[in-house]
Amino acid sequence: MAGGEGAGSGVPECREHLFKVLVIGELGVGKTSIIKRYVHQLFSQHYRATIGVDFALKVINWDSKTLVRLQLWDIAGQERFGNMTRVYYKEAVGAFVVFDVTRGSTFEAVSKWKHDLDSKVLLPNGSPIPAVLLANKCDQKKDGSQNPSQMDQFCREGGFVGWFETSAKDNINIDEAARFLVENILANYKTFPNEENDVGKPKLDLDPLKAESKSQCC
Amino acid sequence: MSCSADAVKEKLLWNVKKEVKQIMEEAVTRKFVHEDSSHIIALCGVVEACLLHMLKRRAAGFLRTDKVAALFTKVGKTYAIAGDICKKVQELQQQVEGRKNQPNGQEPLKRQGSTTSKTPVLTPQAIKHIWVRTALIEKVLDKIVQYIVDNCSKYYEKEALLADPVCGPILASLLVGPCALEYTKLKTADHYWTDPSADELVQRHRIHGVHGRQDSPSKRPALGIRKRHSSGSTSEDRFAASAREYVESLHQNSRTHLLYGKNNVLVQPKDDLEAIPGYLSLHQSADSLTLKWTPNQLMNGTLGDSELEKSVYWDYALIVPLSQIVCIHCHQQPESRWTLVLVSQDGTQRPPLHFPQGGHLLAFLSCLENGLLPRGQLEPPLWSQQGKGKVFPKLRKRNSNKSVDLEEMPAEDTSTDYVFRIIYPGHKHDNITINYHHLAASRSASVDDDEEEEDKLHAMLSMICSRNLTAPNRMKDTSEMIEMQGFGANLLSWQLEHCSQGSSCVSCSTGSSPYDIPSCCNCIHDRTPLKMLCESMKRQIVSRAFYGWLAYCRHLSTVRTHLSALVNHTIIPPDKPSSAAGGLTKEVWSKYQKDKKNYKELELLRRVYYGGVQHEIRKEVWPFLLGHYKFGMAKKEMDQVDEDIALRYQKVMAEWKACEVIVKQREKESHSATLAKFSSGSSIDSHVQRLIHRDSTISNDVFISVDETDSAERDSRGQDDPAFTVVSADTPAAVAAVEQQSVEFDSPDSGLPSSRNYSVASGILSSIDDGQSVSFEDGAEEEASTDLERTDPDIPRMQKAKSVVLQSQDSVSEEQLCSQVDYLMDVASVCAASYTIELLDTVALNLHRIDKDVQRCDRNYWYFTADNLEKLRNVMCSYVWEHLEVGYVQGMCDLLAPLMVILDNDQLAYSCFSHLMKRMSQNFPNGGAMDTHFANMRSLIQILDSELFELMHQNGDYTHFYFCYRWFLLDFKRELLYEDVFTVWEVIWAAKHISSEHFVLFIALALVEVYREIIRDNNMDFTDIIKFFNEMAEHHNAEEILRIARDLVYKVQTLIENK
Repeated sequence: MAGGEGAGSGVPECREHLFKVLVIGELGVGKTSIIKRYVHQLFSQHYRATIGVDFALKVINWDSKTLVRLQLWDIAGQERFGNMTRVYYKEAVGAFVVFDVTRGSTFEAVSKWKHDLDSKVLLPNGSPIPAVLLANKCDQKKDGSQNPSQMDQFCREGGFVGWFETSAKDNINIDEAARFLVENILANYKTFPNEENDVGKPKLDLDPLKAESKSQCC
Repeated sequence: MSCSADAVKEKLLWNVKKEVKQIMEEAVTRKFVHEDSSHIIALCGVVEACLLHMLKRRAAGFLRTDKVAALFTKVGKTYAIAGDICKKVQELQQQVEGRKNQPNGQEPLKRQGSTTSKTPVLTPQAIKHIWVRTALIEKVLDKIVQYIVDNCSKYYEKEALLADPVCGPILASLLVGPCALEYTKLKTADHYWTDPSADELVQRHRIHGVHGRQDSPSKRPALGIRKRHSSGSTSEDRFAASAREYVESLHQNSRTHLLYGKNNVLVQPKDDLEAIPGYLSLHQSADSLTLKWTPNQLMNGTLGDSELEKSVYWDYALIVPLSQIVCIHCHQQPESRWTLVLVSQDGTQRPPLHFPQGGHLLAFLSCLENGLLPRGQLEPPLWSQQGKGKVFPKLRKRNSNKSVDLEEMPAEDTSTDYVFRIIYPGHKHDNITINYHHLAASRSASVDDDEEEEDKLHAMLSMICSRNLTAPNRMKDTSEMIEMQGFGANLLSWQLEHCSQGSSCVSCSTGSSPYDIPSCCNCIHDRTPLKMLCESMKRQIVSRAFYGWLAYCRHLSTVRTHLSALVNHTIIPPDKPSSAAGGLTKEVWSKYQKDKKNYKELELLRRVYYGGVQHEIRKEVWPFLLGHYKFGMAKKEMDQVDEDIALRYQKVMAEWKACEVIVKQREKESHSATLAKFSSGSSIDSHVQRLIHRDSTISNDVFISVDETDSAERDSRGQDDPAFTVVSADTPAAVAAVEQQSVEFDSPDSGLPSSRNYSVASGILSSIDDGQSVSFEDGAEEEASTDLERTDPDIPRMQKAKSVVLQSQDSVSEEQLCSQVDYLMDVASVCAASYTIELLDTVALNLHRIDKDVQRCDRNYWYFTADNLEKLRNVMCSYVWEHLEVGYVQGMCDLLAPLMVILDNDQLAYSCFSHLMKRMSQNFPNGGAMDTHFANMRSLIQILDSELFELMHQNGDYTHFYFCYRWFLLDFKRELLYEDVFTVWEVIWAAKHISSEHFVLFIALALVEVYREIIRDNNMDFTDIIKFFNEMAEHHNAEEILRIARDLVYKVQTLIENK
């Protein structure tokens, strides 16, 4: 999986990032499918329901100097077990919130998921982690296209950095959405004063300023 | 001579082979090797050893510090490739020099240049081996070595390895492989994600586990942890790692802290040898404390070229894990020199360490004491004295008092001998080990005469140890023990005599705390010192034994209170009355069936517990294990049970199928209504419009039980409540819709709109077409009595509906279908009146969830064809219909699936699943069992594997055990292959009666224990462990896991039962 990233030993200047990215949304909206498509370029109707959490890693050669590793946390759509999502969310720096365009209720739940997310994890500077809204299964959409301006408005008001119509089945917009999210995550890191020390470490939100707040989240 | 020289060459070459193998292994399993891999360093080390073998003085140059550098430089002059390497190395060295000038130079060295480094950062080991390493990474090492071999006469003595016509070329060709590898420096700061996969971790563990090494790729070589038991026999291992690395390991590094270091500590390695000076150090890693002593010859590299000579010193070097040490003896020598002897559990003594003059011993002991904290401590502890820091405890005044008179030594600082024990309070094993602790003077000749007494004491001690498991009340006091060993009269009289000596001694009777014992010694100040010594010794032993035993009992009582609820207290053995390892076979089962009355249920369960059920009879046995049938039931009774279940199942099926019809119909209506209303936009758009102006905290998890809604309905009847608007389905359009639906009945993704969507839409509908919706309060009095489950008048109707439903499952002619659908609609319309919107919403939501999961349930398992998925769906819907208050929760399908596979019968599966869910539903969010499981896991690991618990606690504290969530939710169904799931489930069900109702805990514990070394050695945190177990899913050895789990139950049972 990680075999292909050998950029040769001669490049002395290379920056690596490890980003923990959550993928959340109602059950059956296609979270696992999106991840499998993104990471393994595969699609199947038959991914089992996720119980608890699954993982995937995507390595992106962002540019000649930057390597990004996305650690994707595929969180079960019906996970209501107490404190557990809080533990799953810990130290995430970005999120995809997924809904199914063929089912309106999953869109309604988007706000609930976003709210849950923002109440459980924040960036070191106290702002919400960048979240991208994915309108999945757009290949199955029957009734015309969404009104982009309304979706834009929804994203603005809901605190999403952006939205994409995606299809894991037809591989539509998934790479683009991920690229967009990574851009936002990287932009956050550029604005941090202590970038030199913290980037790439696993404890991504261990900003010295925030170190004390970390202890309370289990 | 030549023989030993050959041996040396062979050894050197063997080392290279081994390291090459390791590195190639890593390359194969991981597809790449990281530049920082410990294997590279190790390979460099052994190659360097070869290169240095019999290097000509001239070739080595006069740069004594780095002979390899000299060699490479020399080769570089005539060989261009080597010349390039020289340039590269010089560049690197300059960069490293530049780096060193920066403040806190140590820290950045540890972190690989992955974060923001502008220049490559080399680890200290990499710098050590910079020449060979650079050549390797530039993939030219093999060429250079080949060149050297070809021109060996220039650089090497005749006997050198590289000059050897056989060995030399072998070395060069060995290196071809590693030089063909790609080395990457790309790695996250802590090797987070390039860590090997779970499979690989396990594979590696197997490979290295054989050698007793705890190697892991992202770590330093484990040389420091390597146990050196008594002597010799480890020479192979010792050669495996290079000397330099060993010396490196003596420094403080990221894994271990250097607590103490002192040079020129003398050790006399053998009786016939002089004491040689060396470097004494104390290292603390996460879980161990290790004492090392390294002869100076190894430290400063001033050895001769002979590897053999070196190896002698390796024999002398000491590596002592302090966990093995129970006793430390300190003897003062003339001129305030001190000798320290470490005594291990088995009584063996390590060679004495001679400390130089001064307070070094005290400094060492105080470091040691700190290092042992928090788990261990010295007993007696060092005393803190203001201004002076730690001082020796004042115990042995007796000795000094006496000797002042006799030998006229200075009054202070004359206390000559101390004995410290290393104890681990609260650690059960060490509580059992009662250390025979003799006073310093007991080494004198006269005590040796007393050997017989000593033997008796030993015997008594072992007796006490062996009885440690007995309950406190079984041994009332020490005198009982003493008498048992024939010590009674002797010791008691001594005790009495002793106590009668005076009031000053009362305080030091055996009843006081064990820490007071030293003060006893102070009391024995007169006459016949040896006899007294002997007696006090006995007393110490007895009291120590007693307190050790007492502490252990206390610990046990804690264990009991925590764990006793987790296991059955009667131990049912695997071998009585006969071996149960064969499991429940066909033969045994048919015997049971012939003689049901006399066959013992427990005996059958015992067989299941220890050996599982033979696959062919699972279908017959499972209903018994799950409680569908009771053991001993006659055929007639069983038939009755089946009949009852069949009736109930059909009734439930009819109920929810009728409801489903309405749900589907509403969906169609709402869909078309939505389309009609928002023909220009999409449904999402409508949601956008609504949501933009709405509060974001909507919950669509509305669960209202049938009963609740019914009663609510009745309570508020007559009130003009819009919630009771019901939809009459009895319209031609609806029939058409239903007909259409019954065709695409099992289409999973029929675009089910949400309940809310519908309720909005239905509102719209009613405004559009009044004829299609009626208000409940308009004369629906009769209809209200159609409480489906209970009202009598409905039953004939329901049964008709049921038959329709059941028939419609079979393929029938369209005509028939039409009429049936008509009829079904009739029934549905009647039922519809009794459904509240909330109920319909709930059902719609649950049906959707069920459909989602049924469609993707274990599709790669042969059993789940479309037909069988339909069965699965029916059973699941029936169960959920009866438990709408909980509803469908993800995971339930996983629990039903194996039952379907084995039973292959809807009704039976339905019944068994209902029984299974009595226990399992508690694990789902509405029950409280999951938290209890986690808490129990915590207790169990804490008690049975405190080391691992500590590690979990330290690495971000995942003692919440969330990584076990899926295990408990699904009874390990996702962790194991189907075939294994069957066995494991049977054992879990049988265990309730045989060993423990909470057997799942012990399986979970077994899973953790099987991989504990991997978890520990890789210092896994929560992400690591959850990822590891996710990847390990379906790769476990179920048989082994079950065996360990049963053993663990047994262990806890014996702890509690005291057998």
